Amino acid sequence: MLGMFKAMRTTLRHLPMKKITVQYPEERPRLPERSRGLFRVVIDPASGEPRCRACTLCETNCPVQVIRVNYTSKYQLTAPNVARVATRRVEVQPGIDLKKLQPVLDDYHEHGTGLIAVLQNAQAVYGYLPRAALQEVSLQTGVSLSQIYGVSSFYNQFRLSPIGKRLIDVCHGTACHVAGAQQITEALEEELGVADGKTTKDMEFTLGSVACMGACSQAPVMRIGDQTYGNLTPDKTRKVIRDLMEQVGAKKG
Amino acid sequence: MSDEPTVNEGPDGGEQAAEARNVKVAPAGDGRLKVTVCAGTACVFAGSLAVHDAFVEEVKAAGLDDRVDVAIIGCHGLCSQGPVAVCSDDTFYGRLKPENVKKVVEEHLRDGVPVEKLMYKDPATGEVVRDWHEIGFYKQQTRIALRNVGVIDPESIEECLARGGYEAARLALTEKTPEWVVQCVTDSGIRGRGGAGFSTGTKWSLAAQSPGDEKYLICNGDEGDPGAFMDASIMEGDPHAVLEGMIIASYAIGAHEGYIYVRAEYPNAVKRLTKAIADAEERGLLGDDIFGAGWRFRVHLKLGAGAFVCGEETALIASIEGFRGMPRTRPPYPAVSGLWGKPTNINNVETLANIPWIVAHGAEAYASYGIDKCRGTKAFSLAGKIVNGGLAEVPMGSTLRHLIFNVGGGVKDGREFKAVQLGGPSGGCLPASLLETTIDYESLAATGAIVGSGGMVVVDDQTCMVDLARFFLDFTQKESCGKCVPCRLGTKRMLEILDRIRAGDGREGDIQTLEELAHYIADGTLCALGGTAPNPVLTTIKYFREEYEAHINERRCPAGRCKALITYYIDPEACTGCTLCAKKCPTGVIAGERKQPHVIDVTNCIKCDTCRQVCKFGAVKVRSGIQTPAAVGGEA
Repeated sequence: MLGMFKAMRTTLRHLPMKKITVQYPEERPRLPERSRGLFRVVIDPASGEPRCRACTLCETNCPVQVIRVNYTSKYQLTAPNVARVATRRVEVQPGIDLKKLQPVLDDYHEHGTGLIAVLQNAQAVYGYLPRAALQEVSLQTGVSLSQIYGVSSFYNQFRLSPIGKRLIDVCHGTACHVAGAQQITEALEEELGVADGKTTKDMEFTLGSVACMGACSQAPVMRIGDQTYGNLTPDKTRKVIRDLMEQVGAKKG
Repeated sequence: MSDEPTVNEGPDGGEQAAEARNVKVAPAGDGRLKVTVCAGTACVFAGSLAVHDAFVEEVKAAGLDDRVDVAIIGCHGLCSQGPVAVCSDDTFYGRLKPENVKKVVEEHLRDGVPVEKLMYKDPATGEVVRDWHEIGFYKQQTRIALRNVGVIDPESIEECLARGGYEAARLALTEKTPEWVVQCVTDSGIRGRGGAGFSTGTKWSLAAQSPGDEKYLICNGDEGDPGAFMDASIMEGDPHAVLEGMIIASYAIGAHEGYIYVRAEYPNAVKRLTKAIADAEERGLLGDDIFGAGWRFRVHLKLGAGAFVCGEETALIASIEGFRGMPRTRPPYPAVSGLWGKPTNINNVETLANIPWIVAHGAEAYASYGIDKCRGTKAFSLAGKIVNGGLAEVPMGSTLRHLIFNVGGGVKDGREFKAVQLGGPSGGCLPASLLETTIDYESLAATGAIVGSGGMVVVDDQTCMVDLARFFLDFTQKESCGKCVPCRLGTKRMLEILDRIRAGDGREGDIQTLEELAHYIADGTLCALGGTAPNPVLTTIKYFREEYEAHINERRCPAGRCKALITYYIDPEACTGCTLCAKKCPTGVIAGERKQPHVIDVTNCIKCDTCRQVCKFGAVKVRSGIQTPAAVGGEA
């Protein structure tokens, strides 16, 4: 009896209120045109910590760019973490002299050059982008390491591993392709004993390819360091590279 | 460039030659002669810097340094003749080598007799042409965007000013209103030269109307199309034209900050733009009070980092902001919300280089070139198997035949014209039957190709169209930013099919699958990279379907390029037994006695093509579609 009154009271109390249920699917709520619902960060029940690691992948890939990952406030590195990064830095890449990076970062602080310019300058210092340098850039600019990694792996110009002393760029533009650039690369692969994009074991040569150097009338062309070569044939290429290998005493493979 | 046998030598002792030898050329004007050496990218690759140094040295050695100046210029245009040097009496020397320079200095500059042996020789008639204006390649052109490219020293602002540089900007800033400038550009009918062909005037008026004091102007110099080098040539050859165009544009739309986004792969362009900006700032042509008109405008240089997709405007903005260069949805258009969320106007290098000419000469003068909705001129880079490869600017509405055969001089080595590839990886391949198509945005779009940025690559009968389509798709596949699934995965699947066809494992129905995938990709992507990525495949299927069918049904590559489908053999009739191929063969699979026909051991041949290229008698041949090649080489 009492239970029934309680139930009636609840019913009566809710009767004049605005209805929140709709007859789905006949009735549908009016949402903004492009709404896809709301985002929510999932909390890991075991630890009580958010599962999101601020990798910014969702931010990067969202086609309409409505996601902004704001990691700095919550995940700012505290002092012990900096120490951990320092030890890890030594472990990961003991040979990297971070002092050389400081002018680049000072330039950034002073002139506000963008992240890409910082990475370009850093690559000019080391010849590639060592992990320790990326970590340092992250610490000093406040951009997360994952985002820096995202940028540095997106652009062809950035290299994340060291290259040989001499970089061989074979042009693979349309004109060069039609004129046989593939044969040039194959001849070089044979002579150097490494695949396209790889470095010889003695760290003398790195074989690479570029999209177009704009020297289409001299196709096929290649560039070794500052030296440029045009109107190549596989035979001429072999001669060039053999001479060069002899000059520096490099071995195949 | 060690053993480069490309000098114009050979028998030319005819009457014309004797006549030319007797011509004495008077030094121009004040009696000073000037030698300009082309330092465009192609000429540099051919060794023009060494030629320049040789000129400096030889002029000094001959004691002429008081009346002969030596300077560098941007791309002169006729790149296939590189290294090119032009004297101030208009004499054109092509394919120079440092060792020829002494002859030029002593005979021409000292004694006044041009060296006819090193001049340009018309490939069709064999006639020697001294004056470069008379060379067919140049005679057929109308140069507006390229007006100073190859004429002035790009590193000298004085030369630019002497040629009337920055006068249009002065006119606009001191005498005209921004509205007048926008109207002038709109009336000229110029459309974006970057590829899409959107009306520049409309774009400017949208940007001008956007509210806000803080606006940006971006010059898009991220010319990523393989086989296109017009923008590079303009930035290298006449950086001031770009800056002047930007000053006028900034005034028209009300922007005070400008960015030039250049590919880092163009170090020369970066160097010369940096110098041009510094020079212009020094002279007050950029800064807080330009021409005393109270106009404030500064230009910053941003270097790209090697991503093709950054040529797309929203991706370019993301890249300047320091993010991955990925396009986003439009609207909002950059004219409303662009760089740092502010109204932004983006124009291509060539568009901006045209602007000063339009302002100086009036909209009507520009609109008098071209046809229908496409007014003005367009620069093209001619490359591939073409006689006169280089930089050419022709009025819109010229036919492809005019550009390729009259300006370009036809197909190299007397081979047969097969197709022309327009617009790079977003464009298409057109066959000989469509050579009468006029060059304008609408006509070309109807054929399946595009004007694009203006790259034009001519291919001959030795090029496999399946291989060419695969090359472009491989490029777009690698350069896809990965945001839209149809582009990221669809191009990969298409590439796999093309690889299969090239390897001789093509299946029935592959062509249909390619077409189907192409339509999904074109429909399901955000930006133009994905939207146009299938064009090379679609056009080659449309116009060269029989080649695809030969690969799939007959396991045959008609052009003899697809390695898996060809075998090399030596024609015993033509082989003289000179042993050159055997000596050059990297795998040592060519056997034969001296003066006896040689034989290739096809089982170990790596098909590197070296033997065919070194053979002076054309005895090494490629055969395709024959499965038992052992019988072909023969025990002759």
